[in-house]
Amino acid sequence: MAVLGAAVALALAIPQVAGLAEEPVAIGVLVTQSPPGSVIQGTQVLDGLNIAAAMINHRGGVLGRPLKLVVEDTSGLPEKGRSGAEKLITRDHVVAITGEHQSSVCLAEIEVVHRYGVPYVNTNCWADAVREKGYPEVFNTSPWNSLVSEAMARVIKDMGVRRIVAFAENTDYGIGQAKVLEQKLKELSPGTAFTYQVVDRTASDFTPTILPLRTNPPDMVVTILLPPAGYLLMNQLYEQGIAPAPRTWLFDGSGISDYPDFWDNVKAAGKYLISLGFYHPRMKLTPFGVQVRDAYVRQTKHEPGRLIFQAADSLLVLADALRRAGSTDHAAVIRALSTTRVLGTRGTITFTKGHGATFQQWTGIPYVVYQFTDVRQALEETRLIAGPGVALDVHRLLKP
Amino acid sequence: MLFLDLTINGLLTGTFYVLIAIGLTLVFGVLKVVNFAHGEFYMAGAYAYVLLALRAGWSPWAALGGACAAGAVLAMVTERLLMRPLYATYTTWKVPKDEYAVLVTFGLSLFLMNLATQVIGPQSYRGPSLVQIPRVDLGVALISGQRLAALGVAALVLAGTVAFIRWTPWGREIQAVAQNRFGASLAGIDTGRASLVVFALGGGLAGLAGALLAPLYQAYPQVGALPAAKAFVIVVLGGMGSVVGSIVGGLLLGVLEAWGAAYVSYAYQHVFGFLLLILVLLLRPWGLFGERAREV
Amino acid sequence: MATETRQLRATLALFALLALLPWAVLQPYWQGVLIVALYYAALAVAWNLLAGYGGQFSLAPAAFSLLGGYTTGVLHYHAHLSPLVGIPASVVVTFVVGDLLGRIVLKMRGPYLALTTFAFLAIVNLVIANSYAVTRGDLGLSVPALPLTRPQYYYLFLLVLAAVQGVTYGLLRSRVGLFIRAIRDDELAAAARGVDVVRWKTRVFAITSAMSGCAGALYVHFSGLASPEMGTILESGLVISMAVVGGLGTLPGPIVGAFLVEAGAEALRQVGVRHMLVFSAVMILVARTFREGIWGAVERLLGAPRVLPASVPGRVPEESR
Repeated sequence: MAVLGAAVALALAIPQVAGLAEEPVAIGVLVTQSPPGSVIQGTQVLDGLNIAAAMINHRGGVLGRPLKLVVEDTSGLPEKGRSGAEKLITRDHVVAITGEHQSSVCLAEIEVVHRYGVPYVNTNCWADAVREKGYPEVFNTSPWNSLVSEAMARVIKDMGVRRIVAFAENTDYGIGQAKVLEQKLKELSPGTAFTYQVVDRTASDFTPTILPLRTNPPDMVVTILLPPAGYLLMNQLYEQGIAPAPRTWLFDGSGISDYPDFWDNVKAAGKYLISLGFYHPRMKLTPFGVQVRDAYVRQTKHEPGRLIFQAADSLLVLADALRRAGSTDHAAVIRALSTTRVLGTRGTITFTKGHGATFQQWTGIPYVVYQFTDVRQALEETRLIAGPGVALDVHRLLKP
Repeated sequence: MLFLDLTINGLLTGTFYVLIAIGLTLVFGVLKVVNFAHGEFYMAGAYAYVLLALRAGWSPWAALGGACAAGAVLAMVTERLLMRPLYATYTTWKVPKDEYAVLVTFGLSLFLMNLATQVIGPQSYRGPSLVQIPRVDLGVALISGQRLAALGVAALVLAGTVAFIRWTPWGREIQAVAQNRFGASLAGIDTGRASLVVFALGGGLAGLAGALLAPLYQAYPQVGALPAAKAFVIVVLGGMGSVVGSIVGGLLLGVLEAWGAAYVSYAYQHVFGFLLLILVLLLRPWGLFGERAREV
Repeated sequence: MATETRQLRATLALFALLALLPWAVLQPYWQGVLIVALYYAALAVAWNLLAGYGGQFSLAPAAFSLLGGYTTGVLHYHAHLSPLVGIPASVVVTFVVGDLLGRIVLKMRGPYLALTTFAFLAIVNLVIANSYAVTRGDLGLSVPALPLTRPQYYYLFLLVLAAVQGVTYGLLRSRVGLFIRAIRDDELAAAARGVDVVRWKTRVFAITSAMSGCAGALYVHFSGLASPEMGTILESGLVISMAVVGGLGTLPGPIVGAFLVEAGAEALRQVGVRHMLVFSAVMILVARTFREGIWGAVERLLGAPRVLPASVPGRVPEESR
């Protein structure tokens, strides 16, 4: 983090040296930096935003001024997201807000931006509810639950799975995705029985609720939980011999394998995990995407996860809108955002004019489904089951 | 079968609860006050374990010892700095003492939680496992290697603590002071030292529990809040001041929670303990093994 | 009593100052901070009545602000009832629940009372946080804002604080006030003199709970969100520390404490220090050194004698010195 901070500071200094000592354009950032929210997510988003900001400032910033990120910690709590948004708007006078990665907090924040008419780019809030509100200030570069659930339902249908037990975290994201998955399965795979258990994202011991699965194992367990609870659940499912197991697949719908601390936390429990993800090394990246990836690898020596790209895209979209609007006026930026057509990290980003779950949503988000066949396996070596240019083929899956 | 699985798991969790509760009940027995900062001794142990093992490179077993020491030292400092007024005018104090203890220990709890957040940071740390075996098949149940090892340590330490209280001179002093502080001081027992020892013991045990559970429950500023709350339930259930009561109470709570979570409601599993606490305080405030005559 | 008139005058002066504040503070952000301070002040005044004057050291004040907030929130979210129905409903619900809790803890003192109220707070918090279908659990309930500007909100909250303070003062001045203090100082003796202990103890519990519930209901309509975060032990701790630091068992103390802690919190945040760290330390110090908080120190400076009842913390009985 210090390295990235230094990079940003350096990048910001360059325009100064070049004589562009103008007042920076303030972009508000709301992320989780403390529990009970997912801190690892917040860190990834912030890293991605910082990399993109450095790159944009290196090329001269926006409107001849450098970009400045003003960060507020939400702790993953809607109340703090709300007060953070208020602070950013009334005290720091930000031009726009982005970065949010937890659906429940998004829902609280969009009320605030809607009241003040401030543009908002949703970085990683998956809940359909965020779009269904139909607020004109909100633009979604993030994946959404219906997309994920439909993709998962197709895979499940092809696998011919008969009984699924899912665990969903008690947030708008978790419960939202469980409900949509249930609905999509009814449509696409009516022969599959699906039940889900809502669990507290702050809980540590899931043993009482997973023990019944020992005596009555389902064909598949689906996890819809962010870290740290997600890691704990996976470990305990493994310890109790429930999933992944010869009788039971483990399918994760939250992109949990994407975080740099995934293997340190799950170790043996991650082998045979089937994962739906939004980044895979075999995915084609645009030149911008390649630059972002290279910058991240240089700074952290890690392969990036999807949040890095999602965050970079959020900021890129804002910078592009600012340029086309020619001003920092909120209404002008919102108008410019609605006509976005910019090459992001993984493809061209545009926002639909639809309604419901795809209101002002980038619907062209590429995704992959893959399976780990070994512990600490690098993403390149995983088995790709579906993806851009790869037809869905469940026969490639390995049974534990 | 599920029932057996649950019971075994419940007993396991219960054993760790006992570790935390014993310290609290001993402190109550000797000082007649509930220490609301007890959960922070647990937190101190969890942090010590995690930081010593991850940052200072100690082996997990050595870090366990460090965690015990951390809990004990913190407890002793608490006793010296904050608990003195409770004995200074012990015989003449009645009501103010109780409120004083509540305010001071509650304030301490808030202070320590925030201190941890300020100094160490709000993120959680997962401690390393004591042993690297992920799964152990016991025939009737599957249990993780870490849990089994932690259970072994906890059981040994508990046995040692009971032996200490029963059979060593210091332990007997503690018993004497718990029974009658004034009388004990007349008999020549250094009551101040007895208080210090009992605090150190309680803090050390709580710290050990924090360390043993760090691989599962992790270390973060508020990690001690729920274990402390469980400890309160156990101490009241078992009877304030009764070591046997804490053991029985702890195991009982662990099992009841496991059954409740699986058969009644997983979402409300923590509520059962608190409901039990209120029930006991209403109907049988001296608990299962406590002294009847104590004024509530 | 000189002390009482002094406290009354100080309280009135305080309210006069608070009434003028919105003219000095014009930024909406800071006005928001002050409104939140008023919310906490109301909670602190209520708790002070229960614990400082009544002697019942409950750890559950946050439970009632939480219940108040959620009553109006749930009524709006599910039954679409306006705040005009929701807020009075919150007062009624918290009054009833407070009465119930008061009855449960009737025979308890000290740590047992603290433990029971602690357990009650935990239960309320857990139930609300886990009943997703009714309360949306962890995520909070979206609550409509009242059609008021910031300054108008400020005066509304100030009005409520004045009402709460007024009820407190009126109660204390009346016979009931004598009963309450008699019960606090020596329950057995009070009962022997014919004070209906049961009635007054539960009544005080119910009234202070209703005050907290009202404050909670107003707060959620201001912030637009009812969330379980309002009802954690840390929130209770905040309220208690405000009352203790400001001056337990005094009239202006809790208000002074609330503003100090809230304003102090903002100031400390600028320098990156957690405000609760400082205030919990101050709270410990105040309790440990038997000081009477800020207001007590002020009174001492003004030369007030130490004529203090025996069983309020910080008041060491004369005979044991």
